[in-house]
Amino acid sequence: MSVSSGRKLTQILGAELDKLVTLPLIWFTLMGTFILNLVLAAAFTSVGVQRATGTQNILNIGLASMGYLQAGFIILGILATCSEYTGGQIRTTLITIPWRGFQLSTKHLALAIITIPVAFIIAASGVLYTFIMMRDTKIVIEIDTMITTLIGATGYLTLTTLLSAAVGALLRRTTPALVVLLGYYFIVSPLTRVFLPSNKNFLNYFPDTAGSYMYMPSSSDEISVLTPMQGTGISMLWTLSFITVAIVFYRKRDA
Amino acid sequence: MRAFNAELSKLFSLPGIWLAFLIGAFAPALIASLDSIAQKEEIIAGVSTRLSEVGYIGLALGVQGVIILGVLAVSSEYLTESSESGGGQQITTSLTVISSRFHFLLAKAGAVTVISILLCIVAIMTTVSATYLILGEYAPAFEWSRLIGAVCYWTFTAHLALGITFLTKNGILPLAVLIINSSVVSFSVLLYRVTKLAFYLPDRAGAEMFMFTDNTSTGTLFDGFHTPFTGGLVMFAWVLVVFIVAAVVFHRRDVAA
Amino acid sequence: MLTINNLVKHRGTREILSGISFKARPGRVTGFLGPNGAGKSSTLRILLGLDRATSGSALINGKPFAELHNPLATVGAALDGFGAHRMRTGRAHLRWIARAAGLSNSRVEEVLEIVGLTNAAGKRVGQYSLGMGRRLGIAAALLGDPKILILDEPVNGLDPEGIRWIRTFLRERAESGNTVLLSSHLMGELAETVDDVVIIKHGTIVADGTLDEVIGNHSTLEEAFFALTSENTGDVV
Repeated sequence: MSVSSGRKLTQILGAELDKLVTLPLIWFTLMGTFILNLVLAAAFTSVGVQRATGTQNILNIGLASMGYLQAGFIILGILATCSEYTGGQIRTTLITIPWRGFQLSTKHLALAIITIPVAFIIAASGVLYTFIMMRDTKIVIEIDTMITTLIGATGYLTLTTLLSAAVGALLRRTTPALVVLLGYYFIVSPLTRVFLPSNKNFLNYFPDTAGSYMYMPSSSDEISVLTPMQGTGISMLWTLSFITVAIVFYRKRDA
Repeated sequence: MRAFNAELSKLFSLPGIWLAFLIGAFAPALIASLDSIAQKEEIIAGVSTRLSEVGYIGLALGVQGVIILGVLAVSSEYLTESSESGGGQQITTSLTVISSRFHFLLAKAGAVTVISILLCIVAIMTTVSATYLILGEYAPAFEWSRLIGAVCYWTFTAHLALGITFLTKNGILPLAVLIINSSVVSFSVLLYRVTKLAFYLPDRAGAEMFMFTDNTSTGTLFDGFHTPFTGGLVMFAWVLVVFIVAAVVFHRRDVAA
Repeated sequence: MLTINNLVKHRGTREILSGISFKARPGRVTGFLGPNGAGKSSTLRILLGLDRATSGSALINGKPFAELHNPLATVGAALDGFGAHRMRTGRAHLRWIARAAGLSNSRVEEVLEIVGLTNAAGKRVGQYSLGMGRRLGIAAALLGDPKILILDEPVNGLDPEGIRWIRTFLRERAESGNTVLLSSHLMGELAETVDDVVIIKHGTIVADGTLDEVIGNHSTLEEAFFALTSENTGDVV
């Protein structure tokens, strides 16, 4: 490779960031997710306000929309990689940046750079809204737990985005990737949780359930099977594995 | 009639349709089996609160097959070819073959209706067999009225998907929204805890056609609100509205837009 | 200089390329001809590292594409399609390519000027006509001012002014010592532009030489092409 690989990394990272930023679909998805989050936060908060008795954790309500938010981030991840295959752009990319493994990893890095701040803002805005709405009720908030939980939520959303991007790079077409990912996260996973509670143990090792431990504030009534750190580790493992598989196939396949 | 046949043959020759068929035929059976397994002991002991949902829950939560069908039927028309082929879309060919856009819409809706009915019948067969397989003699009888309600629910859902995709042209948004909405964590389920108006949402009302419970048992996701007939009417009204909007927009739109 | 040596490519059970070899030399425009499905695009894609060959080599200045330090400055390529996402503007498309190669935005404006797309650069690629899209592809190929240009059907979709511009432009580049490899179906146009001709049919080279050598006793390049690629070939080379 060339002498200044550091400079090359900056160039390619810049190019991948450029690509993401100049694609209007990405902005639509982010905006849509932000608005969706506010709407859901409003819905969950009004439900929470109605049930004014009992210890309502602001974090729990503020982050209750996470289940839906991940849809927006899944779409974001899929778009980032599948948009390469529209109009034959993948050929331009590979002619300009022939180092395939490097390029795909840098693409994921660029995606992470964009996702982290946005995910944080979206998660935080949900919690903030809940906080403002429920300020009158006597609820104790601890800043420390709030910060750690928000970081966990941001991390989970980012890892989900990266995993979806890897799946998108593997399947190369938007519709199958959408069906597979949404089907898993929203149909298969919740159903197995509802219908097979006895198998909760092994389900905890799947990306979305393990990931939920990253941001679920630990409540004293139920025993968490995994600590947040373990949850983070397992989610990261899943994401990294998918990215690795995607890179392997990307390098071997014809464009 | 020829337009209808053309649309049918278009649909059957679409590769993605087989995914829709696969999911539509087997997902409900799978969901129903999981539910029956989970409930087996309660049913045998006779204390199950969700007996009336056995089997039907698969048909309620397994609609993704018809959603994919409805979305693909339209998004395949708008899929833009690569630019060296001139960036063409199938919609151009379709509209030069059929003179009236409205006939085109009707023919497509008709084709989707026929296929969703067939798919639902297959799904019912697999679901009923799966339920009998698991629960044996304890499986409740399947009433015709409720099965017809399920068929209507599937057909209306397919039409909703069709209409929405005519408006968005791209399949991503309708697929995402409808798939999420058909799951256990659907928006409608969330919203009906917030406001009673959510009972008038299409999938919520439509599910009433076959998922009603005589006793408002708390263990179910589907507290009864409408009678099956009104539920069906509400969902039909939604389908009609979406269709009219789609028809108007489609009629006035340039293909190159 | 481009060197293709005994390139073989299988896809499934089909043999797409059966050991083709040819060279594209600097200072000359080399035309790559063949019927549909002959293997032209496959050869170019293997040359550019997009596909993998089953055996044989395709080297650019002696190295495979993946080992080039600065690919855009060595080889510029415009393949089929626009190569750009439909929802991006033309300028944004060229800018990210420039960024990846470490070039400045002023270079982007220069190439837009060269191909004549400055006015349309702010529009979305999806709104481009076929000719404009081809120009965008050529602009992307020219960003690094490469010594080697590889163009697949460059004239496809261009208006008469564009066709003449491309012809003059490519000849100028060859005359200043650069290598140009282009594939095309337009015989008449090709005969005006190229110095060397390579004809491929069913994955094998059936003619390789200067324009005059290949035309030989036939009256035009088109006649020679049909004579060489008709079903009962084997007599004349």
